[in-house]
Amino acid sequence: MCDRETLLTEEAVYMHKLFFGATAPVEVVRQYVAANLRCPLAADGSESGAIHKIVTRELDAEAIEFVLRCRRQSRTLTQKVHILFYLVEVRTHYSSWFVSTAPGRWRALAAVAWALLRSSWKYAKGSYLVWRHRLV
Amino acid sequence: MFDAIIVGSGPAGVFAARALRGLHVVVVDVGFKPPDSLAPSMEGSAWDSPLKTDLHDFLIGPNFEGLRNIWEPDVNLKLKSPLMSFVVKDWERLAPVQGHGFCPMVSLAKGGLANAWGAGVYRFSSEDLAEFPVALAELQPFYDQVSDHIGVSGAEDDLAVEFGLESHLLPPVRLSRLSSALLAAYERRRDKMRRAGVKVGFARLAVLTEPRGGRGAYSSDNLDFYRPHNPAIYHPSITLDELIDKGEVQYEPGRLVLCYEDRGSHVEVVARNLRSGLLERLPARSVFIAAGTLNTTRIVLESHGDYESRLPILDNPMSCVPFFHPSDIGGSLDGCNSSLAQLNVVYRDNDSGQRCQGSVFGTTGPLRSDVLFRLPFAVSSNRTLAKHLAPAMALVMLFYPAPTSSENHVRLNTQGALEIHYQAPRRGHAERSLIRAFRKLGFFSASWMCQYPPMGSSLHYAGTLPMRQVPGRYQTDRMGRLFGSSRVYVVDGACFSTLPAKNLTMTIMANAMRIATGARSQLS
Repeated sequence: MCDRETLLTEEAVYMHKLFFGATAPVEVVRQYVAANLRCPLAADGSESGAIHKIVTRELDAEAIEFVLRCRRQSRTLTQKVHILFYLVEVRTHYSSWFVSTAPGRWRALAAVAWALLRSSWKYAKGSYLVWRHRLV
Repeated sequence: MFDAIIVGSGPAGVFAARALRGLHVVVVDVGFKPPDSLAPSMEGSAWDSPLKTDLHDFLIGPNFEGLRNIWEPDVNLKLKSPLMSFVVKDWERLAPVQGHGFCPMVSLAKGGLANAWGAGVYRFSSEDLAEFPVALAELQPFYDQVSDHIGVSGAEDDLAVEFGLESHLLPPVRLSRLSSALLAAYERRRDKMRRAGVKVGFARLAVLTEPRGGRGAYSSDNLDFYRPHNPAIYHPSITLDELIDKGEVQYEPGRLVLCYEDRGSHVEVVARNLRSGLLERLPARSVFIAAGTLNTTRIVLESHGDYESRLPILDNPMSCVPFFHPSDIGGSLDGCNSSLAQLNVVYRDNDSGQRCQGSVFGTTGPLRSDVLFRLPFAVSSNRTLAKHLAPAMALVMLFYPAPTSSENHVRLNTQGALEIHYQAPRRGHAERSLIRAFRKLGFFSASWMCQYPPMGSSLHYAGTLPMRQVPGRYQTDRMGRLFGSSRVYVVDGACFSTLPAKNLTMTIMANAMRIATGARSQLS
């Protein structure tokens, strides 16, 4: 496996654990690597270096991506996260992450409220991490 | 020699072919087709968990076609799926269009853009046809023939006066829980809504809700967004294949028509055979150009060797307005929430009289990942929002009448590409009015949530070679004949005189039949 594929594998493994709290299935990792190799993502040397830091230092990629997206400073991390989400959404095992199949209005409202609060925290954390680790 | 060559196999081409069947007719087309293996066989809808299979190849594709919108954000969500991508295959290479203030889309597929359409079919009214040199009474019999052939479902409700009366309307597609709530709320407050200029009713769709002519009835499996050629949803290939099977027309795919040469006694169509690369010349007594407004325009300008003239172009400005129904937040996925339009909305401004029309969609069509980064929060929060709010969300795609402005034009450049310049008009007034009106129905939105796709996104292109009572250069007469020729007919949206805020496909079909029927008497 060449260096780039190794890095992409590490990205997939790390981000899947971060976002979905479990080990990534081999097929998802394989598809993530293949998609990154195939798709014309916006990437230059500095962004690749930042992503490598995020993975090796196990930084909160979600928080960092959110801040960078808000500031419109970088697209590559967003694109990589986007790829991962597409790849898992079309798999049976992940359907409950994306689709609500059991009614529950108050549970849903609570989840939405928590998601909004959590997002504020992620922004603050992401701002700190971008500054602390000089990611941009 | 052929009696008629028809260029293109979209709605205009196949209905012109239908009107000319039995004569010596050939349809010449590039004709890309969908892949042979259309879908994994499955029972139930795509969202029935116990029966759901992994849908990677179906929704993403072995070559990751479904991820195109990650780096090309203007890709139409429906057209990026692997099974739909044939609809827009290779147009940038074979029929290039450069847009300035305009995002074009061209189809070279068999059946055209209608392979991926929303199936909305609406008759133009007398008001819509005011600028056309054709009266509604002349189109009416052809509308009837089109309706009988394709099958139209809907209801005779408050929108009947807007969409025309159908003699054999099939029952409407079953409404989702959300759309039922919207319609019920409207009916309770009908008078108030109509005073505000808003009418709501069932969508008129070219969808069979009862079996007919070998085509089964529609059942929602939430895969319409991704999979073409559901036999219950009309598409032009149905008609073309019937004509071919009966030996009534000939079909020559794999050919890109470049231009024609009017020889006086006949016309020669010049096409490039895409397999051999060679030019072919096909002689005929007449040619019916139905290649879609943009390609038709290219063919006509190329035929005149004209790289200077600017032709008008019409396109419906559009907006996307999300509405939320709080009662349905956290609801479970609704199996009836198909990706087809559920309801229609017509808004008429009480002051200006401007009429806008919208379609109400559920949100189970696109993947959640399609919208994850359009929401303004952290991605996992966006996922939570999408999961719990989607059952409570309806999307209104609103269309405005096409503005007529000399700023909006198309020309052909010397490199063979069309150049379109378009000035987007101001939008927002109709959306604000609709938001105020829907609030009274318990559906909420806000102006800042409205999205305004770039011009060209509607895929309703028309008016480059408009019909006039007394046509001039690059205009057509009321029988679709191009000025300066008695053998060249324009039968698609290019010959439209104006473009109201209404899906134009049914009128394209009816008008193409009308023109071809009129021409037939001369040809036979």
